[in-house]
Amino acid sequence: MGSRIRTDRGKPQSEAPVLDVRHYSMAYDTEAGTTTALDDVSLMIWRGETHALVGESGSGKSTLAWAITRYMAENARDTGGAILLSGEDMIGKGRAELEALRGRRIAMVYQDPSSSLNPTMRLGEQLTEVLIRHRGMTKTEAWVEGEAALARTGIVKPAEMMMRYPHECSGGEKQRVVIATAFACNPELIIFDEPTTALDILTANQILDLFIRLREETGVAALYITHDLGLVARIASKVSVIHKGKIVEQGDLETVFGAPEHPYTRKLLAALPRPEDRLALPAPTEDTPLFEARDVGVQYNAPGWLTRLLDKSAAAHWGARNITLDVRPGELLGIVGESGSGKSTIAKAATGLNPFEGEIRFVGRSFASRDAFDRKYRRDVQIIFQHPDSSLNPRETIGGILSRPLKLYKLCPAGEVRQRVRELLEMVLLPADYASRYPHQLSGGEKQRVAIARAFAAEPRLVICDEITAALDVSVQAAVARLLVDLQKRSGAACIFITHDLNLIRQLAHRIVVFQRGALVDAFDVADAGSPERHPYTQALLNAVPVPHRPEDQPDLMEPQA
Amino acid sequence: MRKILKSPTGIIGVILLTIVLFATVFGPWIAPYDPQAFDARARLQGPSMAHWLGTDQYGRDLLSRILSGAPSTVAFGLGATILGVGVGSVIGVIAGVAGGRTDSIIMRILDGMLAMPELLFTLLIVTFLGGGTTQAMLAVAVTFTPGMARIARSAVLSVRTREYVLAAQARGESRAWIVGREVLPNALGPIIVEATIRVSFAIMIGATLGFLGLGAQPPSTEWGLMVAEARQFMFRNPWCVAVPGLAIAITALGFNLFGDALRDAFDPKRGH
Repeated sequence: MGSRIRTDRGKPQSEAPVLDVRHYSMAYDTEAGTTTALDDVSLMIWRGETHALVGESGSGKSTLAWAITRYMAENARDTGGAILLSGEDMIGKGRAELEALRGRRIAMVYQDPSSSLNPTMRLGEQLTEVLIRHRGMTKTEAWVEGEAALARTGIVKPAEMMMRYPHECSGGEKQRVVIATAFACNPELIIFDEPTTALDILTANQILDLFIRLREETGVAALYITHDLGLVARIASKVSVIHKGKIVEQGDLETVFGAPEHPYTRKLLAALPRPEDRLALPAPTEDTPLFEARDVGVQYNAPGWLTRLLDKSAAAHWGARNITLDVRPGELLGIVGESGSGKSTIAKAATGLNPFEGEIRFVGRSFASRDAFDRKYRRDVQIIFQHPDSSLNPRETIGGILSRPLKLYKLCPAGEVRQRVRELLEMVLLPADYASRYPHQLSGGEKQRVAIARAFAAEPRLVICDEITAALDVSVQAAVARLLVDLQKRSGAACIFITHDLNLIRQLAHRIVVFQRGALVDAFDVADAGSPERHPYTQALLNAVPVPHRPEDQPDLMEPQA
Repeated sequence: MRKILKSPTGIIGVILLTIVLFATVFGPWIAPYDPQAFDARARLQGPSMAHWLGTDQYGRDLLSRILSGAPSTVAFGLGATILGVGVGSVIGVIAGVAGGRTDSIIMRILDGMLAMPELLFTLLIVTFLGGGTTQAMLAVAVTFTPGMARIARSAVLSVRTREYVLAAQARGESRAWIVGREVLPNALGPIIVEATIRVSFAIMIGATLGFLGLGAQPPSTEWGLMVAEARQFMFRNPWCVAVPGLAIAITALGFNLFGDALRDAFDPKRGH
C-alpha cells in the first residue's frame, strides 16, 4: 500500500508541519470484539495549506477528526502511531492541557451550524467566550474584538448580529459566526467537518469564498473533511482519500484527481455526475401531456377561527403557489430548488399526501382535491422518498413490502406473488433471497433499490422521486440513477425527479423546472441550460456548482462500473 | 430476551420476577401453615425454625401469609395495568391517528385528569365505587388511563410521519391497514415498556389503598393490608411490617428493573 502514497511534497521541508499524523491506528471495543476504525493513517499539513480528507460515509473521516482533537468515545482505543501538533504529542496530553488547547490552537467547524450554537445564548456571548477564556481579554475588549471578527467574515452589521440569538439568523449567518469563532484565537489548525453540507448551494458557495479569503489572511492550516469531490477542487491543495479507515491515496490535488492510481479513487471520480455524460433516454416525441398541474397551491398551518378572531393578521403559509407544470409520457422532468422552495410540497400534493388547491390532470381525467384521487390514480402515480432508512417499514420483510402493491392493486394472482417479488428484486439487481430479510439488514443503497422496486411493482405511468439520491454516497448515487433510467426505459413510465444536485439532473432530465420560495421561476429544456435567457436565479444556481472534469489521461474511466 | 439478560439490571430484574412469579403460582400450595390459623402461644415472634419469617399479632405464620397473598397482590398489579394500559393505548392511538379536532378534545380531557395527583384521584374513584379489591383495581386502571394515552399517542405521532407510512397513504391503503400494519407494530415498543414499569406502580398504589382500608378487606392476605393491620404492633415485632413491605418492594423492584432492561433492549441506539 505504501507505494500508493505519494510523498513528493511541494513545501520546504525545513519547516515542521502543523499537524503530523504518523501511522496512527484506532479501534473501538464493542461487544462483538475490537473493530478497527483507523488503520495506519499518516498525513501532514503545513502552515497555510488546506488538506482535504475525502471519503464516503463510514470511511472513518470524522473519526480521524475526533482523534486529532482527542474527543474520543469511551470504548475507543489508540492502537499505535502518533499525532503531533506542531511537534507536540497530542496522545499523551492530560484533560486540562487539552481543554486549554482546544479552541486556542485547534478549532473545529461542524456540519450543522444550528446544532453547534447554543440556542439560549446570544451569538456575541458565544463568540467572546473563547476570547475571554483563551486570550485573557476582559468582557469589553472581547466584545470589540468579536465585532471585528464578525466584520471580517463579511457580516454587514456585526454589532447587531452580536446581540441576536441563533434562531434569529439564517443558516449561512450562523455558519459565519461559527467560522469567526474558530478563527478568533488565531489557531494553528482548523478542522472543517463538512461545513457546507447542511447549507443551500448559494450560501455554501459564499461560505467557501469566505473560507478561502480567511485562510489567505491568516495562513492557518486546515483539514477539510468532505464527501463532495466537486468541492475539493475549489479549496484544497492536497487530498487524502480514505476508505474503510485506511488512506488509499494521498498527494497533490492535480495528481490525485488528474491521474488517480487507486481503484477506489477512480471509482469515486467516475461516479461524479457530469452533465455532458447524458444518461437520459431519447426525449419523448408525443406532445400530449400525461400529467398536468394547473395553478396548484398548497397551504400550511391555516389558522383556526379562534386564532383568526384574536389575531387578524394570522394567515396560512403557502408551501407552494400557482404551480403549473406538465410531464409527457416517458419524459423525465427535473425539479430543482433550495430547501424550502416547495419541491417536496408539490410531490406530496400530487400523491395525495398534502391537500391542494387548483387542478391536477392525469390522462384526461381531472382532480380538484386530493379526496378525488381514486385507487387507479394512486396506482398510476407512485412516489419514492429521500431517506432509505425510513421509507421501509422495519417490521416487515422485504418480500412483504414488495408484495403489498401487488396485492393491493390485484396485479397478479395470489399464487404468483412470490415469483413476482423475485422478479422485482432481480429487476433492481438485488439477490432474490433478500425477500426474507428485514430492512435493517440492508445497506442504504440496497434499501433505496427496494423502495424503487416497490414503486415500479405497481406498474405506474408516473414515478415521483423526491431527492432519492440525496442521502446516498456518490458511488451508490450514480448506480441508483442508472437503475432508475433503466427501469424507465423498460416500463415506459414518466418520471418527476426532485433534487438539488444540478449536475445530476442535467445528466438525467429532459426538461428542468426551477422552484424558488414556493414559486416556479423557470422552465427549460436541458440543452438550453447555458442559455443567457435563463432566470437570474437559475444562472446563480448553475454557476454555484463546479462542473467536474473528466481526468484526461484516463479515458477508460467512464466505462460503466461493474 | 438475550439482550435483556446481558445487562446487570436485566438479570437482577429477571431473577426477582422469577421468585415473585414462582410464589404467585405455587405460593398457596407450598405455604407451611394455614395462613388464617391462629396460634395464641406464638404471637408476634421473630424468625425461628418453626416460623421462618416470624408470626403476626394472632400468631399466624408470616411466610404462609406472604405466599398465599402473592397471587392476589400480583394479580391486582397485572390486572390494573392491563386494563389501564389497554384502554389508555386505545384512546391514545385513536387521538394520534385521528389528529386535528378529535385529538385536541381527547387530549384536553385527559390533561384535566392528569392534573390531579395519582393517589388522590384513585381515592376519589374508590369513594365513588366503594371499597374492595375489584373496585380498587378499577380505580387504579382509570388513573393509569390518561398517562398511558399520552404515551401511546406520542408513540403513534412519531411513527405517523415516517416515510413508510406516507408511502402507504400514497398507495391508497385503507386507514385500518395503515394503523394495524404500519403504525401500531412500530409504536408498540414504548407502550409495552411503560406497561411493565406501571405494574410496580399499580402494586404500590394497591398496597397504599389496602393500607388505608379501601382495598382488600381483612382477613385477606393482600400485602398492603398486612402492613396496615400490623402497624400498631410494629414496635413489638418489626418483622410483621417489614416482611410484607419487603415483599412489595421486591416485586416492584423486579418489574421496574425488568422494564428498564426491556426499554434498553427495544432502543436500537443502546444496542450494539
